Amino acid sequence: MRPARTFLLLAGALTLSGALQAAAPQVGGPAPRFTLTTVDGKTFSLADAARSHKAVVVMFIATKCPYSNAYNERMRDMAAAYEKQGILFAGINSNKTEPADEVIAHAKQHGFGFSLMKDPDNRVADLYDARHTPEIFVVDPDGKVRYHGRIDENYEEPAKVASPDLKNALDALLAGRPIAKAETKAFGCSIKRV
Amino acid sequence: MNRAARETARRIGAALAALFVAGIAAAGTPGIAGEVDAKGLAQRVARESGRVVLVNFWATWCVPCREEFPELSRLQAKYGPRGLQVLGVSTDFASQMPAVEKFLAEQKPRFPNYRKKSGGDDQQFIDAVETSWRGELPFSVLFARDGKKARALSGKHTYREYEREILKLLN
Repeated sequence: MRPARTFLLLAGALTLSGALQAAAPQVGGPAPRFTLTTVDGKTFSLADAARSHKAVVVMFIATKCPYSNAYNERMRDMAAAYEKQGILFAGINSNKTEPADEVIAHAKQHGFGFSLMKDPDNRVADLYDARHTPEIFVVDPDGKVRYHGRIDENYEEPAKVASPDLKNALDALLAGRPIAKAETKAFGCSIKRV
Repeated sequence: MNRAARETARRIGAALAALFVAGIAAAGTPGIAGEVDAKGLAQRVARESGRVVLVNFWATWCVPCREEFPELSRLQAKYGPRGLQVLGVSTDFASQMPAVEKFLAEQKPRFPNYRKKSGGDDQQFIDAVETSWRGELPFSVLFARDGKKARALSGKHTYREYEREILKLLN
């Protein structure tokens, strides 16, 4: 593609972008580092977690969003299954409208076994340009983003999922294969920022 | 009042109610006007050539969508005569149609609303509408009078924010 055309396309993309925060980290690029306190008072450092696991699944989730809630059982079950294989799941709630006590109660109600943290002033959501829930980033031990997007394509009917994108990505990572579909999209609830 | 008189009164009441409902429909505040896929939506936007078009994607389960919805009606009422056409697209599933119809009956929007056709992978619809869109709702796209995409707006916006962008294209 000629440089002038490339520039025009980029300029168009920038004009159309509605995001106010930093651009989302690119697949293959570095995952922004962050440290948060989990709802049970522990320190969670992405860099430390990535170094000590085969991958970290960073999930921007919510307590009230029907799309996010449709995945509660899938997130719980995937976390339990993949943590046995060395992959760590971490849930981040960046919604200003959902306080820590609500996040704790919601996690208890749905049997979440993975780490959960509030994201004060949605700073981590801004670092990742995370826009909705659920939105997933998979980070490898080198601190690079390897997958970004949805859990699967069928929020409504788990039994009829045809494209289990997050599972496929994790299985590929564990097998040392390239991830065939490393960027995906689905509808979701906007993150309620401050 | 005897039985015949009561029956006549009931019939007159029913007829008046029917006329009232017909009037609302004619005024352009019905439920879902139809289903669209990405191609159908593009064709629907193209039909408004010469007008500025604001396409708003929403869902009944999306709180910020519901919050900003009345503002879109106000914008249509104020700027429709100057050439604005708002089009709503619900992304609710077919099983959520009763909630959609109830919401529209309550809101009485001054613009037509469609439902994204069920089936297929949502990613294809999202990418066809706007590549910078990652699926968050609400999401809006503004088209200039020549039909070209002019602006994408992610998330909930205020009346003034929408108005500012619309006026840039109307003027």
